[in-house]
Amino acid sequence: MASVCGTLEVAVWRSASGRVAAWVDRCPHRGMRLSHGFVRGEMLSCIYHGWRFDGAGRCRKIPAHPDLDPPETIRTQSLACLDAQGVIWIASEAPAVAPPDLGNVVPLRSLTFEAGIDAVAAMTGEVPDRSLLRLDAHGPVPPLVLLLQALGPGRSAVHALAAPTGTGALVAASRALEDFRRRTEAQGIAA
Amino acid sequence: MRPTLYDYVLSPSCYKARLMAALVGSELESVAVDFHPGGDHRKPEFLMLNPAGTLPVLTHGGLILTETTAMLVYLVRLAGRCEWLGGEDPASAARVQQWLAFSARLTASLGLARLHDMLGRPADIDAARWAGTLCLRELESALVENRLLGEDFLAGNAPTVADVACFPYVMLAPDGGVSLDPYPAIRAWTRRIRALPGFVEMPGIHRLHDLRPEPGEAEAAA
Repeated sequence: MASVCGTLEVAVWRSASGRVAAWVDRCPHRGMRLSHGFVRGEMLSCIYHGWRFDGAGRCRKIPAHPDLDPPETIRTQSLACLDAQGVIWIASEAPAVAPPDLGNVVPLRSLTFEAGIDAVAAMTGEVPDRSLLRLDAHGPVPPLVLLLQALGPGRSAVHALAAPTGTGALVAASRALEDFRRRTEAQGIAA
Repeated sequence: MRPTLYDYVLSPSCYKARLMAALVGSELESVAVDFHPGGDHRKPEFLMLNPAGTLPVLTHGGLILTETTAMLVYLVRLAGRCEWLGGEDPASAARVQQWLAFSARLTASLGLARLHDMLGRPADIDAARWAGTLCLRELESALVENRLLGEDFLAGNAPTVADVACFPYVMLAPDGGVSLDPYPAIRAWTRRIRALPGFVEMPGIHRLHDLRPEPGEAEAAA
């Protein structure tokens, strides 16, 4: 799938065995987006000419030259990538600190907001760390953790995790997030 | 005698009928209509068949159908594959109808944006894209809730005419400048549809390469 890391466009994928990798979204051959590619087993194939890359980003097969063992210099540009607590964390360089412990939560859903992360964080009223928000339980809605990812000016992804609970409460949480998005975006239009 | 589909290969609505027939294992006679650039669907001979001047049209014996959702139901019943109509309890039947009606909103929003971008049809493109975005958000939320309930498709745990009616305009949203990147549940749903036995393609909608053997390796294994 396609994502972003700062201003970098990124392809994130998971192999059949569950290994995740994040690369600059560009095939080293002709620049096609690797996020348009497809996964077979432990390899990702570019959709354009079928060049196949292993989890470490090294080219392993060039279909137009089936007998060629591709030189190891043909590589995708890899980002640091960590799969923890149901969240895939990516960084353009190896980060100095580990991702925060999110506590006892399970992934709920990801939403795109037509609002920047500052505007999203401001709506919750608490901004000690504008990229990680913890919301208390509210009516049927369980406690939530929101991870805010900037997608560009005026656009963000909100990755929501919820305290483990029953299906009804998770549905309520999903609807509460939509309400939160509507109110956040309306704020931007009013401003 | 097979039903006859008046067909245009780039039309997502025509594709719905072709896809439905393929999924229930039926065959259609096809009559190609030059929708663009010919505009044959607006010519007098075609208006004799369908006064609305829209595609597709499905004829079978004396029956003439001009609404795509009616064609889907007809093809399913004709093939005796009534599981594609969903459950018979009131709620299940209503859920299918809900999404069949919703599919018209996809056509009016994402479909309009696509006609504007691909064929230069006049439209308020920003309004069409935003209306399409609101439809996709609605669909995404419904699919998230269905997954929480353990359901894979729009009206329950098995695919129905509702999925076939909604799938094509959603899948082709990028043709109208509306990305599917923000909708992970929709993308997973489109993968489930593209993996169904009998699935057929149209330009812009391909089957899952992942499910097919690597070219060359299939022959080697055979």
